[in-house]
Amino acid sequence: MNCEVCQLEELKVEHFEIREVLRCILHTIVFHRALGLLRPKDVDLELFEITYVQCGDVELEKKIDEKIDHFISWVEKHPNKKSQLCLSFYEVKSKQPSWFTNKTERLYWEQWYANLNVTQHPKHHSSKTHHTKVVVDPGESATEERSSRRAMVEASLREVLFQIIKFVNEKKDHLPPISEGVIYFPYETTIPSSSYSAFGMDMIKRMLHSGHPTMLS
Amino acid sequence: MASTHTSSHTEAAKMEQVITEFFYESLFIILESRSPFVSSRNYSGEQTVSSPSSSSSSSSSVRPRDKWFNLALRECPSALENLDLCRQSNFESVVVDVILEQKPLDWGPASFSPKRDLFGNLSSKDKNSLFWNSDQEESGREIKSEKIIERWLVLHESRKGRDCNLGNRRSSCYSLSALYKKLILLWRSLYVTVRLLPAYNIFRDLNSSGQICAFKLVPRVYSFVEPLTRKEEVDMQRFWFTPVDTSCGRLCVSVLYYSSISDTSSESSTPMSPQFIPNYVGSPLADPLRRFPSLPISHGSPSSLPFSRRHGWSYDHYKASPPLVSFSPSPTHSESHALVMNLDEYCPSPNFSASPSPSPSLPIHIPRSHLSEALLRPESAPVDIPGPKVANSPALSDKHKLPPSPPLKITRTGTSRTDNFRVPAKTGATIEKLFSFEKEDRRKYSGVKISSCGSPRISCSRSSSRSFQDDFDDSEFPCPFDVEDDEMTNPGSRVESYDKREHPSDINEAGLFVNRKSQDAAVGALVRMLKKAPPLCQDISLNFSEASRPEMWSNSIQKQSQISEAATVEHAAALSSASSRLVASKTAADALEELRGYKVMKNLLLSEGGKAYTSANV
Repeated sequence: MNCEVCQLEELKVEHFEIREVLRCILHTIVFHRALGLLRPKDVDLELFEITYVQCGDVELEKKIDEKIDHFISWVEKHPNKKSQLCLSFYEVKSKQPSWFTNKTERLYWEQWYANLNVTQHPKHHSSKTHHTKVVVDPGESATEERSSRRAMVEASLREVLFQIIKFVNEKKDHLPPISEGVIYFPYETTIPSSSYSAFGMDMIKRMLHSGHPTMLS
Repeated sequence: MASTHTSSHTEAAKMEQVITEFFYESLFIILESRSPFVSSRNYSGEQTVSSPSSSSSSSSSVRPRDKWFNLALRECPSALENLDLCRQSNFESVVVDVILEQKPLDWGPASFSPKRDLFGNLSSKDKNSLFWNSDQEESGREIKSEKIIERWLVLHESRKGRDCNLGNRRSSCYSLSALYKKLILLWRSLYVTVRLLPAYNIFRDLNSSGQICAFKLVPRVYSFVEPLTRKEEVDMQRFWFTPVDTSCGRLCVSVLYYSSISDTSSESSTPMSPQFIPNYVGSPLADPLRRFPSLPISHGSPSSLPFSRRHGWSYDHYKASPPLVSFSPSPTHSESHALVMNLDEYCPSPNFSASPSPSPSLPIHIPRSHLSEALLRPESAPVDIPGPKVANSPALSDKHKLPPSPPLKITRTGTSRTDNFRVPAKTGATIEKLFSFEKEDRRKYSGVKISSCGSPRISCSRSSSRSFQDDFDDSEFPCPFDVEDDEMTNPGSRVESYDKREHPSDINEAGLFVNRKSQDAAVGALVRMLKKAPPLCQDISLNFSEASRPEMWSNSIQKQSQISEAATVEHAAALSSASSRLVASKTAADALEELRGYKVMKNLLLSEGGKAYTSANV
């Protein structure tokens, strides 16, 4: 079975927007892949004029929130870095057990990559801003800038949601058959960036900045 | 053989049932997210329940219909009703137009009634019951605007010929299960998509808002509809859901929508699109001919009494500048002045209109020849609502004593004429807004030309309305322009400022072909004329006492008369001085005759104005 991969468009968000944006994206994807009987729940985003749909499952909400918290923690440890959250759907296949392998294996048939570019907080950003107006009249221009930025993020998020819908509509043949009584396909969320070892990344950073591979402090 | 035949029939029946449910579900999902107060959104409490299949106890809450496409939704009566349309079309096509309907513009405070029926039953049979509230029905006017903001198309494109092979049991079994799965995915996408489109924001705001809205969302279902115009389609975006193949064709869903809808839903009290309202309530143009019950009937010259309105609107503006007599639609304009046009012929006319003079206004004269034309304007001028400061006139100074409804009535009519969608939600908010509009509208009034050396030409616009007649019939709101004496200056004193219309006899034409500039000019000329009229020095006090005019007016009128004289001196028109001399020389008999003439004209204009307005409305 082919594994369909969907790389969602990158979203430039601020730290406080991560939770809402990821909730919207993840729940939308899961809703499309929860083909069992469910009662949908409409949720209005607080930061944006967007309504997304949840499956109406409290347990599912908790799991997704936990994963988002984990992602946020990772982002806080790695500021100014483009981050990814991968939502993968798989089938569990049993196989011959051996010494080094498990009895079951996961066959991934679909993977979604949510790409986020988390920018700094505005209060940290203001010192670096090139907006001279901010110094003179921070109130009004900052508000306008914030509004326009918010509108851009909202439009981008809407685009991402439509991208999900289009992908779901275009690719349907790779889905496994629906099992009786099963609502959701098995899934997992990972942060691909965290797969790199912290030590290794630090090394690379220092080498790039210093230009001397031997200068390791 | 027989079993194969039977199974194929079974499969065909199943396929047909799937297609039927396809139409129903699509209708349901669309209608329940576009029909406020009919949506499952209102039952969010139920949505916190865990998935219906998660526990055995929840299975009882799952209805058989919920199992179709595994989406447990609330019942949608409108979808069920419109299913008949689908049957009529043989389940081939269904079109759902989501229409943004704007309420009629001529609605005032009386129409802000909780008995409004916003959405109710959205079936095609009952949709007409949703359009008008009782107030609007009383008026007999049904002025609404509609705009298709979304068009959903649900199709089953049949594939005829040997491709449609229901006898192949194996393929139909495969296709049925695959079809079902794909349809489940399609409905998931549809469910999400209807909530991402701009119309959903309007639906959500209408649902959540408890305020009276100036518009509503009405979905209409058709089995067949004419395609949209090219222009409309160009402005709209289309989203296609990937068609799902069936054994006999394919099922398609698509939507045409506007990517951005003007901000109508964010504020229930704001119009869809900002439009200039020349005749806002509060402007004296709305109702410059409000009756003054205590205006003298047969005394004095018209110079003094018209100078200020009964309600003291004028004195709001006499703050910085001398209260020159002028026609002032704007009570907060410090330089503008109210003109009391205590002319009988102006009172009944809904056609009279005037625009404010933002600078210290000079007396405005309106030649008699242009009076009828001005009076016959089918639009009424906005009402001037006084500000807080009125000299020596407690009643005048208290703007809150102003009766709200007449101004708002006029506003209603005014907006209907001018096709403005500014429909305030509350009366208080309305009045506040009007005050804030004035300064803006001063600039916006067309035809207003303030000249330091010449007489200001003030063009007027006014919306006619039946309420104007009501205003006159309503003793509570006296018309300041009631001519009960010969305050109306000598016709010779009335000078220009009307546009080129010189056919007072052609009442119908003047009433039908409203020219704001002409109206403003007419009013300006009239005002100038009245200002030019010599003050009723001895007669003023007599007039007021005799007519039981409120004492509060005496000071104001005297002041105005003084100011008008000053203005007259400043005015460069020799004709005005001549006219004042003429007025002074008139006898009481002449004045009485003139008064009679004015009364006749008034009645004539009343009737003509009403006709003109009615014919314009048709």
